[in-house]
Amino acid sequence: MSHDDHHAVVIPAPGPEFVPHTVAHHFSTPVQEFQAGKLGFWLFLATEILLFGGLFAAYFYFHELFPETFRVGGEQLDWRLGALNTSVLLLSSWTMAMGVRSAQTSQKSKTMIYLFLTVLGAAGFMVIKFIEYKAKNEHGLICFGHLFDGYDMASGQVSWFKDYDGVMAGVPHGHMFFSIYLTMTAIHGLHVIIGAIAIIYVMRGTAMGRYHAGYYLPVDLVGLYWHLVDLIWIFLFPLLYLVP
Amino acid sequence: MSDHTHGDGHAQGELDMGHTHVSSPAMFMTVLLALLFLTFITVAVAQFDFGSANMLIAMGIASVKASLVIAFFMHLKWDTAVNKLMFLSSFLFLSLLFIFTLADQFTRRLDHELHTTNSEPVDGAWVQPAKSDGPH
Repeated sequence: MSHDDHHAVVIPAPGPEFVPHTVAHHFSTPVQEFQAGKLGFWLFLATEILLFGGLFAAYFYFHELFPETFRVGGEQLDWRLGALNTSVLLLSSWTMAMGVRSAQTSQKSKTMIYLFLTVLGAAGFMVIKFIEYKAKNEHGLICFGHLFDGYDMASGQVSWFKDYDGVMAGVPHGHMFFSIYLTMTAIHGLHVIIGAIAIIYVMRGTAMGRYHAGYYLPVDLVGLYWHLVDLIWIFLFPLLYLVP
Repeated sequence: MSDHTHGDGHAQGELDMGHTHVSSPAMFMTVLLALLFLTFITVAVAQFDFGSANMLIAMGIASVKASLVIAFFMHLKWDTAVNKLMFLSSFLFLSLLFIFTLADQFTRRLDHELHTTNSEPVDGAWVQPAKSDGPH
């Protein structure tokens, strides 16, 4: 098992429906491979925290600057849809955790079912998100067709926001809340989509019998990513929909 | 929530993976129910106005939920010390960002209280000190 004899380290398959795992040649042991993968992924997740952290800092800054804008803006969002999406993500986080557990215990069909349910949760989340975005578009709060039309220096108004004289009249910089809402939820939604694609990828590997008690690192890492998506939303929900 | 098992994680007994922690379904279900309950609490307390404590309460509950996700769903409780240090230190660096960003806002408010007690605030948020009499 040492480096010099070039004998590949193979983790045997626990059953006929699985395939053995060959440890990558640049690792000496399965544990080293596992821990290197985990270390790298936790580092990546730390950068994700910092990415969203910048957005949260912007939220707190402008919330402090224009509290009324945020209060009235938050009232334009449907907290029931937000709470529903929170529950959908929490449930999908649970199915993901159970999926990883099933892979750890070499239960192939259970892994497939739990991963599929997680993808279903991701799809449900995005459908609800789409319904919300559509309503904002119709009410002129976020006009998606004019997102990149620019900013009028003279009036201080943006072209994608048509509601300066509507529900947001009387509060300064009415577009500010929706600007932050869209940026945070869209980047979060992008993570949901990427997460769903990653889960579908490990479903393919699961179907091929690659993941079992001896080797389940990819399922574990995709699971960590999915929980991070949940983690971010746990803070987004009260801040955007309930505006403390 | 401590009803987890430390399985050796492989049937063949040839390789000691030495990293597997398999949590019990009961533990995951307990965490899920706690998270859903705390979501309900989040919505429930938002119906009341606690003034400036609103933000602290909402973020406090969210932090408890986040800790549950990190410790149990993400298994960080059973992960190596270096992984714990790496991930949790990101929150430390994040707090630096928050402290220096919000220090600006809070000192503006302080400025407001110190210098504008005799004049009406223009927009309720922040006013430039109208007349500064000498250095302070």
